[in-house]
Amino acid sequence: MPLKAQIRTFEVTTRELEGLPDSRGDSVRSMLSSDHGIEVGSVRVILGYQVKSDISETDAESLVYDLFADPVIEVGSFKSRLLDDFRIAPDAAIQIGYKPGVTDNPGQAGLDGLKTLYPRHESAMVATFRTYAFWDVPEGISPEVLASSLHNPMIERASVAGRDDCSRGKWPTLDFPSRPPASFQEPTTVDLEVSDKELIEISEKGLLALNLEEMRAIQEHYRDPRVQSSRNEAGLPPDRPTDAELECLAQTWSEHCSHKIFAARIRHVDNETGESSTINSLFRTHIMQPTLDIQEEEDWLLSIFHDNSGVISWNDDWSVCIKAETHNSPSALDPYGGAITGIVGVNRDILGTGLGARPIANTDVFCFGPPDYSGSVPEGLFHPSRVFRGVHSGVRSGGNESGIPTVNGAIVFDERYIGKPLVFCGTVGIMPRRLPDGRESHVKTPEPGDVVYMVGGRVGSDGIHGATFSSLELTEESPSSAVQIGDPITQKKMLDMILEARDAGLIQVITDNGAGGLSSSVGEMAELTGGAELDLGKVPLKQPGLSSWEILVSESQERMTVGIRPDDCREFESLASLHEVEATAVGIFTDSGAFTVRHGETPVAHIPIHFLHEGCPQLRLESEWDPPVHLPIETPELDPGGMGGLLGRLIARPNVASKEWWVRSYDHEVIAQSVIKPFCGANHDAPGDAAVIAPIQGGTQGLVISNGIAPRYSDIDSYAMAAASVDEAMRNAVCVGVDLEMIAGLDNFCWPDPIQSSKTPDGRYKLAQLVRANRALDDVCRAYRLPCISGKDSMKNDAMMGGEKISVPPTLLFSLLGNHSDVKKAVSSDFKSPGDSIFLVGETHQELGASELSFMLREEGIGGIGGAVPEIDPKRNLSAYRALTSAMSDGLVASAHDCSDGGLAVALAECCFGSDSGASVDISPLWSDCENLDSWGALFGESLGRILVSVKPDDRAAFEDSMGEISCHFLGEVSDGDDITVFRDGEQILSASMPELRSSWKGALHGGGPR
Amino acid sequence: MTPKVAVLSGFGINCETETAAVFEMAGASAEKIHLNRLVSGDSSLSQYQILAIPGGFSFGDHLGSGRLLGNRLRFGLREQVREFVKAGNPVIGICNGFQVLVKMGLLPGDDEVSLSQTASLALNDSGHYENRWATLEFDPASPCIWTNGLKRIRVPVRHGEGKFVTDDLSLMDRWADSGQLVARYVDPCDDYPSAGDEILPYPTSPNQSWRNVAGVCDPSGLVFGLMPHPEANHSTWLGATWTREETTHGEGEGMPIFHNAVKHVLGG
Repeated sequence: MPLKAQIRTFEVTTRELEGLPDSRGDSVRSMLSSDHGIEVGSVRVILGYQVKSDISETDAESLVYDLFADPVIEVGSFKSRLLDDFRIAPDAAIQIGYKPGVTDNPGQAGLDGLKTLYPRHESAMVATFRTYAFWDVPEGISPEVLASSLHNPMIERASVAGRDDCSRGKWPTLDFPSRPPASFQEPTTVDLEVSDKELIEISEKGLLALNLEEMRAIQEHYRDPRVQSSRNEAGLPPDRPTDAELECLAQTWSEHCSHKIFAARIRHVDNETGESSTINSLFRTHIMQPTLDIQEEEDWLLSIFHDNSGVISWNDDWSVCIKAETHNSPSALDPYGGAITGIVGVNRDILGTGLGARPIANTDVFCFGPPDYSGSVPEGLFHPSRVFRGVHSGVRSGGNESGIPTVNGAIVFDERYIGKPLVFCGTVGIMPRRLPDGRESHVKTPEPGDVVYMVGGRVGSDGIHGATFSSLELTEESPSSAVQIGDPITQKKMLDMILEARDAGLIQVITDNGAGGLSSSVGEMAELTGGAELDLGKVPLKQPGLSSWEILVSESQERMTVGIRPDDCREFESLASLHEVEATAVGIFTDSGAFTVRHGETPVAHIPIHFLHEGCPQLRLESEWDPPVHLPIETPELDPGGMGGLLGRLIARPNVASKEWWVRSYDHEVIAQSVIKPFCGANHDAPGDAAVIAPIQGGTQGLVISNGIAPRYSDIDSYAMAAASVDEAMRNAVCVGVDLEMIAGLDNFCWPDPIQSSKTPDGRYKLAQLVRANRALDDVCRAYRLPCISGKDSMKNDAMMGGEKISVPPTLLFSLLGNHSDVKKAVSSDFKSPGDSIFLVGETHQELGASELSFMLREEGIGGIGGAVPEIDPKRNLSAYRALTSAMSDGLVASAHDCSDGGLAVALAECCFGSDSGASVDISPLWSDCENLDSWGALFGESLGRILVSVKPDDRAAFEDSMGEISCHFLGEVSDGDDITVFRDGEQILSASMPELRSSWKGALHGGGPR
Repeated sequence: MTPKVAVLSGFGINCETETAAVFEMAGASAEKIHLNRLVSGDSSLSQYQILAIPGGFSFGDHLGSGRLLGNRLRFGLREQVREFVKAGNPVIGICNGFQVLVKMGLLPGDDEVSLSQTASLALNDSGHYENRWATLEFDPASPCIWTNGLKRIRVPVRHGEGKFVTDDLSLMDRWADSGQLVARYVDPCDDYPSAGDEILPYPTSPNQSWRNVAGVCDPSGLVFGLMPHPEANHSTWLGATWTREETTHGEGEGMPIFHNAVKHVLGG
């Protein structure tokens, strides 16, 4: 007779052995100290598992050491609380567990482990929690304060016990997080024959994020007699949408999914030049057209703009693809969950490219508020250091657990990212040019009659309205249902299985389930065959009772939608079962012209494909440019030592400081392909420029991956910002020796809302900034012959909290994927040997506007950020890049490092870190580029197109020859000593000690723990 | 004859591609094989001469790294694994694969192949995952067939739980005496040989492993596991500082380990 299900609690903690610390507890202690300034004596961590099952007492006993606790280094219990066992009662004890319904990855793993031991217990459930015990807590620090630093109330629960409770053994306790059953709601219809005001109310109340014109277009659709008659045939109310239809249209037409601002017709006025013009879609005009023009002359652009990522032909055997996405709003609400969901989400874009590509490299770029921010943080937002730690931890789990190396990235800090952090997650993929069955892998080949499978995770109430939510500003009311936690292991199993199915020739078409869920994935692929039928009744659910529209739009993670020929279904399903991956037939592709959805026998939606994808009216927007006015930069009078001290402060600024502590905890070498790593130099701690990977083991053809981002310049001119971003990605790639004949780009725009309204009175200006950034992208990419093959935009990066609006600075992340002809010739940034000659390639101008130096001096109380912002001369730069990469392939370059934040002085110091050396340079030659240069501009200006190079003495003449007419100044030599000295016209102007610079640079962003 | 290598895959193992590649480079024929194919009887270990459990994050490292995959092997493949080892076939576990071998009791192991756990890999003292390069030194007196003739190699470590410990100190002495503590972290600035018991400072020892242990073998020397990744240094251009060195390009410092196993199978 089956036993009644009961809940048992298992606890595990580190055993007290000499030489075995409780490292989890130590990490909490150092986090409290470095992020919150709270010094506690010691912390112990207890891991807990609540098991709901009908397992017998004896079997339960065996679980303690066969499953939950390591018999050598841990102690486990299941009938008593481990808190009772500490010799001295703690001062505070806090238990933290997930809220019901939140993804619990360790709980899922525990359940899997339980079923390995007792396969019969199919219906068991496992939930996890953690208990923290604190000793020597400072007076005035309540357990609630400690708890708030350890959990996020949006997704977690906390139970606390203070000193009194602890002394009486009254321990914190959480219930099993039982998920309340969802209440199924019968499909309803929405009457759209209402006033305009009511149409807007319907959109706002339903979180649909549709404007009046779009609501009217939907209203109009349901008035069409032909539409009405086909709806009658489908058994649906003829003259009004169902709730599911309205949701489906809202997802498909959301800014997030359909990029309405980039597709808008814009009337652009420039009050500086008197220009007045009309732009019909920024995307078509400035992003797509340049790429199409380049495509006419190149044969390696295989698939651009229309798939989940852009694909290029890398060589005869392999093609490669790249995509980056942002996950900003979810990362603001739950930094860990938002970021892990972001990274595993963009991995799925790669898996969903063509017939399926393998993700081989991640690149992550974050924009946060300053980690040392001391101002007040608006209610509802996290302190930037908390966001930083959470996002970092999410990306670490997501990348590491998926076995995809994080090869490159950047972290940018600015106070305006406090409202919304920007979390860019990018992934590079690889696939064979042709599959064993002869099909080209970048072309999807669906046919009517193919069966629609949903593969991977199940559908739950998590992630409802993600697409529309991210198309709105962040407010106190932002829904917690939009937050999810990614599950890398479920996804990894699915990825292994999908790639095996691809190679077996089983996959006809594939895409991921991201924003908009099934409504988007099936709706999009239905466009390829001309229709699809979906039965929501077949979709596996995390909990019963979900309403039809919820199943249709839920963005529950780790799911792919795949089309399989009917004859192949059996083989596909058996492969899924081998990998322990759920794959369920949920519909069929058709050529009926409509996307038809039912829930069992009940008709739910019938939307013509054409209306779904082309029915959204084009936005009409206005933009107006007036150049902003800033106080000019002011520079102090300093002696050489003073200048050295200033360099020490500049190099400790978060934007410049070493991110080593954080980056080390990303796996950057899995797949055994990493040629130029995030760190280089004698002590493995100098910053690399671009990543170089050789993804075919043993092969020496490589890929170069780099990023450029320069949001500071938007304060003066977003044209300069975008130009600088593209140039930075180029410079970084050139520094490692990229093959300039095969480079492709990726544009990711993150903007504040640029639509004029009462909430956004400066919308016209923000849109003008977008216009200028697009024009820069167009000009520079054409000049560099750098086609954009994919991209993304996120256009509502504002937070409205307690009446205060915080908008991000207009930001473009430009990522570059290029070929490397021979990785054995790749160049790293570190100086190599004392005596090597130092050259600066590229021209230096007096360009200190919006420089890192100007921001620092302004924060120190002198002047503003105004001044000339770096201006691009792409033709001149490209000649220099060509000459330099050619010198590299001739083996003439010992090191190359790009000059960006903090200019030449910072670049020089970073090259010295890599060689444990000093340098002695004379910058007088720079004045031949620009007469009105001053020492500040020469040392700290951020002029584009510049690369600091070192050359072995024997190669110097050949190197100078190979640079020909290019501006290339000999500055001095790498020196044995510990100092950097800079001279101008024979006079010393800067002197700095390398050990001091190193400790400022490495110490500023150290995340705690051993050094 | 070309030795056949079973490279285990599935459930979050993620270094199977490069692990298969290095065996191929060493002259073997390597096959990635999903664990469930062995459990279901679809395939059998008896068809192979070498077993490799690659690195990865099996089951997300939840409930302790390697533990859940170790349990799948301990409960699902127990007899196959014992027979394979008793038949004298080489086995290697790298990183997560090493954690699996330790938690299922195959390492440091015993003559009877009793599969009972006697050591463990605890969280690094730093409390978190790290990717950095380390220098390993091998015990020349060890019976380990994988490290035969090797002195030192440079390899990346990429783990959060790599601190080798046990609850019975006398076992440490026994394993040391029998040459089972075969791979240790050393300071590359010290002259060879320098492996010692006193724990080296962080990050020379990245995890503060007892006696600087980075890898161990079983009493027979056929089963070998280590936390660092020799397969990630299969070519000179993957080294951490190769751009600073005068290098004749070719195989990397990790490759001799795999050549050794192939040679062993071929009777060399």
